[in-house]
Amino acid sequence: MKKLFALVLALALCFSLAALAVPASADGEIVINFPSIWVGTDSKAPYLAEMIEAFNAENAGSIKVVVEDQTDYQAYRDKIRTTITTGSAPDLCILDTTFDIKAFAESGKFMDLTPYLDEGWGANFTDGAFDAWSVDGKVSILPFEAAVFTPIYNTEILKAAGWDHFPATYTEFFQMADDIKAAGFNVMGQMAGENGWSSMLWYSLLVEAIGGKDVYADGLSNPAFVEAAKVLKEMYNYTFDGAISAGAGDVNGHWLNRDTAIYLNGPWWIANLYKEENAVDGVLLADVCEVATNPSYEGGKGEGGLVTTVQGFLAAAKQDDPAKEAAVIKFLKYISEPERVSQWALSSGAMFFVKYTPSPETRLISQKVTEVANKAPYTILHVNGAFPTAFSTEFPAAVSALVLGEVDEQGFVDQLQLAIDMA
Amino acid sequence: MKLIRSDRKALFAFMAPAILVMILFFVIPVIYVIVVSFLKWNGISAPAFNNLKNYALLMKDKSFSRSVINNIIWALVAGFIQVPLAMVMAIILSRKPKGWKFFRTVYFFPQVISGIALATLWRAIYNAEHGMLNGLLRAVGLGAAAKDWLGTIQTAFPAVLIYWVFYIGYYMVIMMADITTIDTSYYEAATIDGATDFQQAIYITIPLIKKTSLLTCVTLASVMGLRQFEQVYMLTNGQPANTTSTIVLYMYKKMQNANYGIASASAVILILVGVIFIICIRKLFEGRGDRPPVVKSVRRAVK
Repeated sequence: MKKLFALVLALALCFSLAALAVPASADGEIVINFPSIWVGTDSKAPYLAEMIEAFNAENAGSIKVVVEDQTDYQAYRDKIRTTITTGSAPDLCILDTTFDIKAFAESGKFMDLTPYLDEGWGANFTDGAFDAWSVDGKVSILPFEAAVFTPIYNTEILKAAGWDHFPATYTEFFQMADDIKAAGFNVMGQMAGENGWSSMLWYSLLVEAIGGKDVYADGLSNPAFVEAAKVLKEMYNYTFDGAISAGAGDVNGHWLNRDTAIYLNGPWWIANLYKEENAVDGVLLADVCEVATNPSYEGGKGEGGLVTTVQGFLAAAKQDDPAKEAAVIKFLKYISEPERVSQWALSSGAMFFVKYTPSPETRLISQKVTEVANKAPYTILHVNGAFPTAFSTEFPAAVSALVLGEVDEQGFVDQLQLAIDMA
Repeated sequence: MKLIRSDRKALFAFMAPAILVMILFFVIPVIYVIVVSFLKWNGISAPAFNNLKNYALLMKDKSFSRSVINNIIWALVAGFIQVPLAMVMAIILSRKPKGWKFFRTVYFFPQVISGIALATLWRAIYNAEHGMLNGLLRAVGLGAAAKDWLGTIQTAFPAVLIYWVFYIGYYMVIMMADITTIDTSYYEAATIDGATDFQQAIYITIPLIKKTSLLTCVTLASVMGLRQFEQVYMLTNGQPANTTSTIVLYMYKKMQNANYGIASASAVILILVGVIFIICIRKLFEGRGDRPPVVKSVRRAVK
């Protein structure tokens, strides 16, 4: 009797745990599990949550999208990779490691979206959006969130340094940098701590200006990478103290404190320029900001190209159940519908690979960034996106070694190349 | 004593759950890590046998050798500076001086705070522009000594290591618990013989805890030194120029790069370093008898 009781108890425990593990759903309701990083403080989170709520309400009883909040980007990447390694993929997920996209597509774990895109859905996306990411003519990973990186500068600081325009060449840029420094300001925020993000973006701009649109064709062997390293090192003379150990918080803090003239980050950051909490004497930071193009480098091959990246891809797991596949596609179409994307862009400041008419309420700085982007004759990925993840992991170490004189410019490039080779 | 068959069965029955857990959660994962260390695998495509190339690449990688050296320094500092400091405090506080409970709490307090929170706090203290350390230096007229502590090659690793050395509470309470079990008659006899507190500590307390809590604490501290991660990750992420990296951080970065073969190879080397360390510590603490002739040694010292 005791054994039977113990067995019943154990089974009850197992069933209750199993019940906890699986999201509850009504009979016949299809549940789409969506582990997402567009949650929490991510600027895209509020509108996405609104869309999901509306979608679930419209499809009540038949489809339910369940978001699994993932606020740690690296843990999220590890999770996605692990689930793929163990034989499955989440119903829907966001991928953000550009260089690995083809490997993900080739894994065969993701749904082929080509037939649905060919049926007309593809017309919603910008021309050529899928070209670089399709494998054997099939699209299984959808480029979705775009990012462009253009310098934004504080006109008041430039004015205080005697400059009424942003330099068109890097030679002029360093003349301006001297004037800004002499006026008691930092020229830009650099950081070799954390992931070295700001320095990586400046390096990408330099690589474009020096090497031009085909700079990545021969990998790191292009001499532009060494030359760009030399200029990047020079830039560390014009940033705040402690940039070697600084992180994004330090760079952003200086910019918001208005002691730094130039800021470089993705479009998602524009919303911060309009926040009242960042205003000084009632003047919004956005009111004293202008958007610049990447200066040209004398003797360089760059022609005003734009540094971009795919900030987020959407991918859906291959499904055995046609009804579930249809449900996932229905949701993907729902969130990529141009009118919704227009609102999404307005609320978040993010940019998307969807053709949409920007809302008239779109913030002025966002409009200017879009103008600069539209004028660019070509685009290149930022360096983190153009090389394997090993590059971005090693970048902060290589930059600090370069700036501290542990390696020369060639040594900097060699260090990055070694990291890539090891991967 | 000879075990009869039924005893053996009972013994096995009692041990079986522990053995099973050990096999499932230690032996199999270790074997798995060893196997993966010989593969080239990105976690998505099919793994391929890679001979000893992962190990060869590790040997060539300067940041890995730097990580191993840092870990060895860390483990030595933990075992031979941090634990002795804890021992000194344990001996002092076991004499129950005035306010000993307060100091015991103060020393133990950092143990209940997360390592991440402490690292974040120290990152702020070391901040080059607004950090408390540079602020203090400037306040006392030593502004010239102010620097980017975590961004300078010469100071980054000591800065990461040094604050942690003083978090001795965990080892201190272990040794205090052990010291309180020492028979007070040893101390009474030594006092009659005229031994000072210092002599009693050297000739009674330390020899009697040497093979118990002291050995345990040195082993624990060294192993914790070898597996350092969150402090370095939070404070410097291995920078500048990988000079503060540790093996676990190195391994983590290789996993970020989806290079599971090299990550596993570095894990295998970490296990080997750990085993060597533990063997060395045990050899160091090996003595001729379990309990030294305490009172005689005190008498010799007093004479």
